[in-house]
Amino acid sequence: MILPINIKFNDKTPKFYGEESGKKPDEMYDGDTLLENNFSTRARIGVDKITKAFTVYPVKGMTGSINSNFYEFLTMGNVPYIIGSITLMSIFNAYKSYAHRDKLRASQLGNKMALGVLFYGLFKEFSKNFIDKPVKWFTGIDTQIPYARVIHQLQQSPQDSDLTSIEYHKIGESVDFTRWDLLYKKTGTPEHNLIFDKIAKKNGLGENLNDSDQEVKPIYKEVLIKSNLARTISSYLWAAVGVGLAFQNSWKHYFKVMNFKIWQPKVFAHSIKIFGKSALKATESFLNGKEKSKSIAGKHSGKILLGTALASTILGLANTLHITKKPSKSNIKSVMNDKKETVVC
Amino acid sequence: MKTNLIQAYQTGNSPILQKYKSDKAAKDFDINKELSTHTFIKPLPGNGHLVKTNIFDIPSELFKDFKYSLNSVKHAITGDANDHELGKINDVGMKLGGLAIAGYLATRKQTPLTKVMEFVGLTSFFAAMDIWPKLALQLPAYLIHGVDVRQQYVDNYGRKKFFYQDHQFIPWDLYSDDEINKIGDRLGVDKNMKNRRAYIQEKMRKIALQNNTMWMLTSGIATPILSALICNAAEKPILRLQEKMAAQKANDLLKNVTQESQKYKFKDENKQLEALLETYKGKNITPEFIEKLSANLSEWYDIGTRAKLKQDLTNLFGNKNYNVDDEVLGNVYSALKDEFKKFKLDDEIINQIMPSKDEIKTSFIERGLLTEGIKDLSEHKKAINSLITRNVKTYAQNNPNSSVNNILNMYIKNLMHSKNKTDFSPLEKALRSNQSAKLTDGIISQIHSINTLMHGFISRVFVLDKYAYIRAAQAPETMLADNWNNITESLLKTFNFTDSEIKKSRLDRTFAGDILKEKFEKIVSDDELYKQTIEDLRKKLSELPTENVFGQESEQLKIGNAKYQSMVDDVFNAMGKKLSELGLDSTAAAVSGYDDSGRTSLKGIQKNFLTDRIRGVKSSFYRILNTLDFYRRVHEGMNFNSQTFKYLDDVSKKELLDLCKKTLIDGHLSDYSVKLYSKRSLDHLANTADKDLVELANDKNFFKAFMEIIYNEELNSKTLEGIKDTVFGSDFARYREDIFKFLGGYEYFPKRFHKVFDYEVKSGSDFKFNLLGSSLDEMFNNLCKQKFNSTKWLKTFGTIGAVLTAGTVLSQFFFGKLPGKENS
Repeated sequence: MILPINIKFNDKTPKFYGEESGKKPDEMYDGDTLLENNFSTRARIGVDKITKAFTVYPVKGMTGSINSNFYEFLTMGNVPYIIGSITLMSIFNAYKSYAHRDKLRASQLGNKMALGVLFYGLFKEFSKNFIDKPVKWFTGIDTQIPYARVIHQLQQSPQDSDLTSIEYHKIGESVDFTRWDLLYKKTGTPEHNLIFDKIAKKNGLGENLNDSDQEVKPIYKEVLIKSNLARTISSYLWAAVGVGLAFQNSWKHYFKVMNFKIWQPKVFAHSIKIFGKSALKATESFLNGKEKSKSIAGKHSGKILLGTALASTILGLANTLHITKKPSKSNIKSVMNDKKETVVC
Repeated sequence: MKTNLIQAYQTGNSPILQKYKSDKAAKDFDINKELSTHTFIKPLPGNGHLVKTNIFDIPSELFKDFKYSLNSVKHAITGDANDHELGKINDVGMKLGGLAIAGYLATRKQTPLTKVMEFVGLTSFFAAMDIWPKLALQLPAYLIHGVDVRQQYVDNYGRKKFFYQDHQFIPWDLYSDDEINKIGDRLGVDKNMKNRRAYIQEKMRKIALQNNTMWMLTSGIATPILSALICNAAEKPILRLQEKMAAQKANDLLKNVTQESQKYKFKDENKQLEALLETYKGKNITPEFIEKLSANLSEWYDIGTRAKLKQDLTNLFGNKNYNVDDEVLGNVYSALKDEFKKFKLDDEIINQIMPSKDEIKTSFIERGLLTEGIKDLSEHKKAINSLITRNVKTYAQNNPNSSVNNILNMYIKNLMHSKNKTDFSPLEKALRSNQSAKLTDGIISQIHSINTLMHGFISRVFVLDKYAYIRAAQAPETMLADNWNNITESLLKTFNFTDSEIKKSRLDRTFAGDILKEKFEKIVSDDELYKQTIEDLRKKLSELPTENVFGQESEQLKIGNAKYQSMVDDVFNAMGKKLSELGLDSTAAAVSGYDDSGRTSLKGIQKNFLTDRIRGVKSSFYRILNTLDFYRRVHEGMNFNSQTFKYLDDVSKKELLDLCKKTLIDGHLSDYSVKLYSKRSLDHLANTADKDLVELANDKNFFKAFMEIIYNEELNSKTLEGIKDTVFGSDFARYREDIFKFLGGYEYFPKRFHKVFDYEVKSGSDFKFNLLGSSLDEMFNNLCKQKFNSTKWLKTFGTIGAVLTAGTVLSQFFFGKLPGKENS
């Protein structure tokens, strides 16, 4: 006889702590904890990840810690991104020892390159909102909800006492192992399925559903996958738009007055003002192309690139919002045929 | 779809279950019992396996990866992708974005090389991302430890992953005991150790983790540097390949000029022409129409040819007959009114002396002047003149004391005649405002013929332009630029410039000149060194294009260039002939010139483009050889044949030789044009008859001697020996003759194509400029600048790259150490 497999869930109810608990971030997680998806949280997570990517994780990795994991490896992926950007900027700005005229010419290209690297990152990150925000507005599904994951590490030496580490993940970062459990509210309360209820209502599945979670999960997963595709492809194309903008000649006006000395407000304000003007002119020349160019590519390459980025966003968004995995409306009556004999086991 | 592992247990007939029931399974193993007691639940053996590929599998692996990526996108579109597939989409996006950047930047670049380099940059970046961990981590780790830290495996679902990707989940079961033991042996793990496999696995894990971390820490620096170095190394081979392709393209262009020219359609121009003809069909041919017509037909021509075409079209279609009707009368009246305003007289006076529109009309009718097809408009002017004169007289009689009486007659004269003799007065223009010639079908047909001819010709010129551009334009990918680069690159080596000399010479042309002078003097004082230097120069100069020949390397090009010249003759002469047949003689002259040489025409420009460009380049190199030869001759003693030189006193000779040496290195055309105008030392002249001649310009013998000893003396025997039987020998001799003749003789002064002593001078300032070539100090200053900058860049980043690589490789020796005594 094959017995059903009894899976023992951890009875411990996940504890949720709000900001009012007054605990410090690292102390407040008894277990995996859903976090608010707001600027403050994102900034805190970003700082935490970058800091650890440059400090804790490399040390753990280089010492061969048994507690190193895939999350740490992925987080360390920020290191080549940041150092690579700086190196790339340095390669094109390594002209300190050149003769004056050469230095001047090299610096023009170097500055453009540096701006290109910067715009690449900014446009790539910011453009993700073009997908995430509309998806949230239209489906009620926030694909970027963060949560703190508590890791209980193995003891490597008898002296090890602080064996808990916090990782920051997103509910939907895995479509195969989505953290549905964190989306439920307190067991046994009417709010248990609150998040799923809201999404079900938003997507026209109805209200007061007995199993809104079961109805919503396929939709949620579909949106996660499709929005991931749209976000990934479009963000790289928007990054290309950023690089294209950075390579316009009009930035030379800004490079002449470029200044980051915030403690000199007048000079800094002037620099920002010229940045704005240069940005406008750069946008104009990016869209209008080379004046005397006879080729279509020369004249319209900017428009084509922008159009491609826009199209990828719109198509990606349309595909994401076109949900195909909604549960069927069929009810039990249509499935069960009263006239036929049915065996229920 | 894959089998659910638990369900597989429940299906009695499953092959997996059969496996457990086979003889190989433990005899007392009862799966149902095991399951019912919950004590043993173990996944079935997986289908995963390690990826073991060699270099020959790379294409198929790449194809599989590409296919997998495409399927990932497909699945993601339908919302069915898994985590692994979504990870692949990131790679797709990154490459797509990279292509978009390279594509956009390529459209902003001017030359094919720079366009191609954008894509090379992209490819090299991705290549560097891939190569770095393989070369700096995977290979050393494998050689030192025997552990493949980038081992891949395919999981149950056919997904390829890195074995050590997640250190909390390493599928060790994919390695057999034998494989692990073999690695353990390489790692020097005691063969009799308890739990040997676990120990080896831990070492492997640690090595892999440390390598993965090292990868993350180093690739940020390594990838951009490696990519830049790859681009640097790739630039030359790509340039070579591109040159070959360009040469082939140029020859194809020349072979198929007619076919190639048909690619130009002039759709917009033809459309505009049809609209213009439609508007004016059956109407008068006005100057405005001629203006628009000539602008349309000569859209792609130079300003001179455009003017000639307009002139021809006016003569051809715009006859000199005019109609005078009410509209013209209106124009005449308006013109009169405007002109009277300019006299700044009181309105009262103007009203009295200016005839009314009706008065003019009546006068024209009385004289029979209001008619069509009038050739001579003088009667009309007389009629108006008499009306005004009558009014002026009447006014004078009525106002005998008026102050304007005396000047009114002068005003009338100004009114009738234009101040500019080549132009009509406003009054005359108004009378000529209605030309009687009409745009008939016959003329339209004629215009169509001219249009076909003009477009057919200019499209052939476009093809010839393309050829000339590829061959010798001022662009880095042309063959001439290649000549220049190849030779200049080796010059620093030929003259043995040290790093410190390069560092100093790059700063200023004066430093470069001084160093060069020292080097020349050193070379000429050493026979062997001089011979070697001349030999080096001979090799390099043999690659130079001569008058009509592009170097010795390609017979094909030699023919190509000669063919270009004859093709230009054919195309331009044929055009000239056809234009003349259509009655467009001035345009014909502008296109093909007045004689066969076509010197003052478009043909001359088209032909001279190549020869001028080539002359400029080769003169610069001939100048090096000539300078070196002169230094050698001076070194061997001042045995010059120049009589002018012989008559100079010793101090002047010395002074002259110094100046020669200096000018050969830093002289520009302006130095020759002012005849080396400069102050001379006064001391030694104080007692001579020439004591007032303190400036070289006034010393006719000084400049003459200068030119003679540099350019008109026999070459040094060692130089002659070095360059005998070379392809450039005769060309070099002509170069010296030309400079002597055109920069040093009387021909220097007259304008181009003017006759002096019955001889037409062909040298213009552009010719002289090209003949003299680049000054050596500037050339070497630029060369040193380039060399210094590129060396500095390479040194900086090459060193960083080398140190990083060495550090990364050496770090392997510290990896994989486990606490405690390893071999216990």
